Amino acid sequence: MKLFTIYNRMLLVVLFGGFITVGAFFYQALTYILNSTIDEGLNEELMEVREFMHSRNHAPAPKGDKNLIITFENIPNATDYKEIKDTVFFNPKKRVTESGRYLKADIVFEGRPLRVLIINSKLPQQKQFQLIFFAILIPVLILFAVLIYINHYILKKMWQPFRHILSQIKTFNLNKESKYISVNSSVDEFTELDESVSAMITKIREDFREIKLFTENASHEMMTPIAVINSKLDNILQSNTLREEDSQSLQDLYMAISKLNKISHSLLLLVKIEHDLLTGPEELSVNEMILQKADYFRELISERHLHLTIKTANTTVKTSRYLFDILLNNLFSNAIRHNIDSGKINVSLKDGELIFENTGQLSPLQEDKVFERFYKTAGSEGIGLGLAIIKQICNKQNFDLKYEYRAPFHSFIINLN
Amino acid sequence: MKILIVEDEVSLLKSIKDYLTHEGNICESVSRFETARQKLSLYDYDCVVLDLMLPDGEGMQLLKYIKSLHKTYGVVIISARNALEDKITGLNLGADDYLVKPFHMSELNARIAAIIRRKDHNSNTQIIFNEITIDPLAKTVTVNDTEVYFTRKEYNLLVYFVVNRGKVISKNAAAEHIWGDDADMANSFDFIYTHIKNIRKKLQEAGSKDYFHSVYGVGYRFTAE
Repeated sequence: MKLFTIYNRMLLVVLFGGFITVGAFFYQALTYILNSTIDEGLNEELMEVREFMHSRNHAPAPKGDKNLIITFENIPNATDYKEIKDTVFFNPKKRVTESGRYLKADIVFEGRPLRVLIINSKLPQQKQFQLIFFAILIPVLILFAVLIYINHYILKKMWQPFRHILSQIKTFNLNKESKYISVNSSVDEFTELDESVSAMITKIREDFREIKLFTENASHEMMTPIAVINSKLDNILQSNTLREEDSQSLQDLYMAISKLNKISHSLLLLVKIEHDLLTGPEELSVNEMILQKADYFRELISERHLHLTIKTANTTVKTSRYLFDILLNNLFSNAIRHNIDSGKINVSLKDGELIFENTGQLSPLQEDKVFERFYKTAGSEGIGLGLAIIKQICNKQNFDLKYEYRAPFHSFIINLN
Repeated sequence: MKILIVEDEVSLLKSIKDYLTHEGNICESVSRFETARQKLSLYDYDCVVLDLMLPDGEGMQLLKYIKSLHKTYGVVIISARNALEDKITGLNLGADDYLVKPFHMSELNARIAAIIRRKDHNSNTQIIFNEITIDPLAKTVTVNDTEVYFTRKEYNLLVYFVVNRGKVISKNAAAEHIWGDDADMANSFDFIYTHIKNIRKKLQEAGSKDYFHSVYGVGYRFTAE
């Protein structure tokens, strides 16, 4: 749930609850005040009744006041009884049933005990009451609505920088040189967040660049010493005094040098792909390139007695020729290198899906690690960069790359669309 | 042939010089931009082996200088830089070849030989080794006037060995010559053996002597001895 929604929901609950509580309290207070005003009136009326009866010697019958009804009742004994309560009564003067407040009290008039009932209609007060209530309720409701609206609008505006920062973090990609756009916010926290994120991204980019530069420089620097060793070996080889063991050592040295060389080249290539330092896209015929590559690798394939099947359909793809060449190269190399003698390689190209299948060890590779740099299975003679390069190329060209093991085939599936 | 080698790494410079001198070339070597420029302005060469990164200047500048002299020197760039742009820039500036470090001496030798052959329009461009005659333009091989058919890879390998005649060529060097970066792909270099066996057979069937001598497990030497 969004912070905004949570906040709004909480605000609504608090406001509504508060409003009801305050309303109830207000209602009680108002009713209390009203009642006590009426009660005061009733008491006064009772006093008036007593005085009136004393002076006039008969019961009062106020005619003008339609809201006041006074009745008498003979009772055997007069007590101190006095009661004030709410009631609903029939008002004979108005001929309607209405709510009111009554006072019952015993009085003795000329030796006769009488119970006097004075009922006061609440109607005029109720009207007052309603007026007061609405006079308060309506502005409060308006305030309430305005508050929610402002809240909604201002909050949205206030959180805008945050969302902006968040969206930039979400789309952050080390390999893409999109610049971080700072936000202007009057909120200190957001300014701080913005500065921190910006500084962090800059730092990450710098570190990454440094690592890439280091890889590049280290790989370059390795080339010269390797070239020196290689050239010296070539010269040693020319001496006619080499014994067989020496030759064997020389051969091993050549192998080691060639591996070092390959690592250097692969690392450089990775850096270059990341830097997009390679040729631009052009329309390539995939099937043609596959057939060329198959021819190129023919000796290597027949040397291991591998059985190669190619099923292609006419497919073109718009991509960098150099990269695509490396991609096919590595796919073929991979399929040949990690195969078993007399194994199989199936290459199929259909509906823009390029599948390389090869027999090999009879267990799946770790799917999540197979494309990692320097990932190698036990006994692998490679350097673990071939598949990393494939992955990198697919990333750059927006090809979808998957590894699957369908016994006995290891499959690499590339979606070229 | 008179070759100028411009390379700042002294031990590499010495190796190149030794190898090329043994091939019967006259080699001069310099390791600084300025001295290279002086030498180039004073003497004539058939070929210049040029390193791109020199302590006191860019090899590309030297290349421009060579071109400004309007001499038909062959130029082979040797560089640790493997960027496509560097290659393109170098070749556009008039270099004849671009060899990425590290390389085998035999490879450098073969490339230089190819350049000199191309430059030498007047003389016979054929490579002749006893009864074997190779025509690099037509890409044909004849033994005692009989044409022998070779596959592209076999042809390349044969030219490589003939140009480096008398030298021991390691299997790595031979494999890299044909395969480039993918040479380490095979578990062994036995397929080089297969190729050489085929070349030998075809040559001998056409009446040539066997000039391939295997050198323990390391490689082969193509020699008349």
